[in-house]
Amino acid sequence: MRIGLFKGWVSTAALAAVIIGAGPALAQQQAPMLDDLVASGDLPPLEERLPSNPLVVEPVESIGTYGGTWRSALRGGLDNAWIARTVAYDGLVRYNREWDEIIPNLAESWEISEDSRTYTFKLREGLKWNNGTPFTSEDIAFAVELFSEPGYGVGSFIKSEQNPVSVEVIDDTTFSLVFEKPNGVILDELAGVGGLTLVSLSKDYCSQFYPKYNESAAEEAQAAGFQTWELWMEDRCGWATETIRWANPELPFMNAWMIEEPLTGTATRATFVRNPYYWKVDTEGNQLPYIDRLTMRVSDSVEEITLMALNGEIDFQDRHIATVINQPIFFDGQEQGDYRLGANIPSSMNTLILQFNLNHVDEKRRELFANKDFRIGVSHLLDREEIIDVVFTGQGEPFQAAPRPESPYYDEEMAKQYTEFDPDAAAAAFEAAGLVRNGEFYTFADGTPLNITIDMISTFRTEWVDMMELLQLQLGAGGLDIELNNIDRTLYYEKRPAGDFDAQIWQGDGGLDVVQEPRYYMPSGDESVWAYRWAQWYQGARPEIAEEPADWAREQMELMRTLQSEGDAAKRDELMKQILAIAKENFPVIGVSLPGNGYYIAKNNLRNVAEPMLHAYLFPTPGPYDPFQWYFAQE
Amino acid sequence: MLRFILNRLIAMVLTLWAVSFVAFAIIQLPPGDYLTTYMATLAAQGERVDPRAIEALRQQYGFGEPYVVQYWKWITGILTRGDFGQSFEWKAPVTTLIWGRLANSILLEGLAVVVMWLIALPIGIFVAVKKYSLGDYLATVAGFIGLAIPNFLMALLLMYLSFVYFGTTIGGLFSPQYESAHWSLPRLWDFLSHAWAPVLVLATAGTAELIRILRANLLDELKKPYVTTARAKGLPEWKVILKYPVRVALNPLVSTIGWLLPALVSSSVIVSVVLNLPTAGPLLLRSLTSQDMYLAGAIIMLLGVLTVIGTLISDLLLAWIDPRIRYGSK
Repeated sequence: MRIGLFKGWVSTAALAAVIIGAGPALAQQQAPMLDDLVASGDLPPLEERLPSNPLVVEPVESIGTYGGTWRSALRGGLDNAWIARTVAYDGLVRYNREWDEIIPNLAESWEISEDSRTYTFKLREGLKWNNGTPFTSEDIAFAVELFSEPGYGVGSFIKSEQNPVSVEVIDDTTFSLVFEKPNGVILDELAGVGGLTLVSLSKDYCSQFYPKYNESAAEEAQAAGFQTWELWMEDRCGWATETIRWANPELPFMNAWMIEEPLTGTATRATFVRNPYYWKVDTEGNQLPYIDRLTMRVSDSVEEITLMALNGEIDFQDRHIATVINQPIFFDGQEQGDYRLGANIPSSMNTLILQFNLNHVDEKRRELFANKDFRIGVSHLLDREEIIDVVFTGQGEPFQAAPRPESPYYDEEMAKQYTEFDPDAAAAAFEAAGLVRNGEFYTFADGTPLNITIDMISTFRTEWVDMMELLQLQLGAGGLDIELNNIDRTLYYEKRPAGDFDAQIWQGDGGLDVVQEPRYYMPSGDESVWAYRWAQWYQGARPEIAEEPADWAREQMELMRTLQSEGDAAKRDELMKQILAIAKENFPVIGVSLPGNGYYIAKNNLRNVAEPMLHAYLFPTPGPYDPFQWYFAQE
Repeated sequence: MLRFILNRLIAMVLTLWAVSFVAFAIIQLPPGDYLTTYMATLAAQGERVDPRAIEALRQQYGFGEPYVVQYWKWITGILTRGDFGQSFEWKAPVTTLIWGRLANSILLEGLAVVVMWLIALPIGIFVAVKKYSLGDYLATVAGFIGLAIPNFLMALLLMYLSFVYFGTTIGGLFSPQYESAHWSLPRLWDFLSHAWAPVLVLATAGTAELIRILRANLLDELKKPYVTTARAKGLPEWKVILKYPVRVALNPLVSTIGWLLPALVSSSVIVSVVLNLPTAGPLLLRSLTSQDMYLAGAIIMLLGVLTVIGTLISDLLLAWIDPRIRYGSK
């Protein structure tokens, strides 16, 4: 994945000019359901609702027709991720459908200063929230102001203490994000799900809950039953993709569909209806979206959702139901349910990553786990073909923690090193690591027994139970005494800072989103479980447990810091390749197999759905494939 | 009788206080708190969370305070303002979340109890009177099958069969168009057409137990001399059985009414999840796994209240059907 960087005002202006040049000949159209509202004067005519240069979207197959309802399901009332994927993906900028370029969205163009500290964005002229109030630079400034409050919100670049940001409003449609230090990765952040925070709050509506703008906000919060103004603000103005955002129908939106029936705690379904102010058109000037409504059944029962899909009661869905186990059932049911299956290419590069704790508090174990030979031995003991055949019905191939074959960072040697099943090589490696085999199992050189406990969570991925049992047998046959410790997720996380666990497992994040999610390639954050204490040192967090990393990891960290402040895409690529080369050389974690393709279910009459789709969370599939240009064919 | 009720009421308040204290303590026992779970969820989605922001939230939610202080704040809120606190996960006051679901639970499980008794009573009497007949064996076998099949499996079977043979998806309690409508005849019909499946599933599990208890009790009574006397005096057979032995045999059943509700709520959690029923069960399950402590505490507390009220009702019923208890309390 090569994220192109736009130097200077973007050439899309030229592209837009071509399309607009063809535009005036074609009258702009709107959905029939809006005609009455315009006729009665409840809604201004289309020209007044659209910005002066709406975003022109090229349909995947063909120009569509208006109407219809897209039915899908949420697993329980807190399943905000599905709404994030279907409705919410409309940031300042967005990814293109190939996920190799960042393209204009709410911002029509941008300019980056020489030192990569100042990013100046130009918004489309005449953008409006779904209640008709203008969307301006002030809304952006408001979001930054609110999230700069120490007690408000989590998980956004606005709150970064390492590189704080401020906003300069130049005029209604122009503003600059000014960073304290150079920032080379902010466009990626803005194009992903994390960037939605910046554009999700209308100052006009949300400032009434903020004591800075409304002196009595705190009292009003109390009167509404909330202890602080922050809780009241969170309730009314949920940001980005927070679940609570979909519970307030008054909250202004910039998305293709807006709330009709809110997703409250007691709701059994949530529905969305077209936003008459949506600012995108197709190549013939028809206002998008094509589909009138979205209804999402709120169901705690995966079984019910599965049956609904089999019964043709779901128009598009992959989340929750598109599992390996269900695949044959869905395949057989295509004709009866009048749907088709399409391929999802996962961004994950591994079905399971085994992470030995390189920062173990026990001196002897730390030394062993940090020994590359030991990890090579473990890797050679895994019969990956057996696991693939038994657990994944033959789908996938042996793979280490390495970028996926589709990624520009793919390095076959890195992906395949030490993956062959070779007990002799393993025995040699263990010997090199200083282990001795006494009878059935290996022990430390001084004869103390070596039993390794691997923590796992069976509820997160059901395949893990089968995989781990096979893995235990395979390692046991090779002389390693392995114990499986199946625990709750909270405990899993609590154990990390204490540092006295042997190993944990997780899925293979970072197969396509290599730069954004380097957790297995270097100690980058709390999810780098294999080097938790080094990662704390890198983040400058929890000084009481932070430890100075090994030289190779320190070198990676310096490269990553340089990467994050590098404005030139080609240079960033080069830096990332260096980080990966160090990871390949030091082999910190052990992978099992590359996941086979996933799938989605789409009704046969649903058109303009891309196939295959890349599937990730930062690239919230199907969001980047523009669901607002899907339509139902009329037959 | 008045004093009997008064004594019971005082015991009730004390029990409830103990329940609230223990419930609150149990919820806090597992390692971590809601924010640990929240952070884990964000991290799994690939979002980066600043540990310092989490620390600020921890202060705001009052997680740092000692247990007794937290408990005191919670319980005074309930008693003085009817405020059960805030659900962290739903970011809404607990009271807005639980009443509708509790009402659904009581409605559904009440129906299940009624159906269970309607099936079990006549069968129980029949199998006691016609001991070792073909009917006795058939009813026993059927009852034990109902007891042996796990509830969720039965629910899955019903869903599958209804999909394969009728092409419909069972699940939920209402069709979309009646979801938020007011009660009316069509809505009641819609409710019943959805509710039969869960009611059936929940009822079959308990019938076998009821049948066995009633049969055993009744067999003891039927042998007693007063039954023979009544028969010798020429009372019709149905009156002989229903008027005295059945009444006595009901005693142990009535005294456990109070336990039925909590037992049904906890046994129906998985059924509710499988059949997607908007009852308190799934909400409780979710709040426990995510350590949403005020929500979980409120549900456990209210289940406690229901149990205690149920016990009071069963005490009153017992006093009513059995004079010995009534006079014993004087």
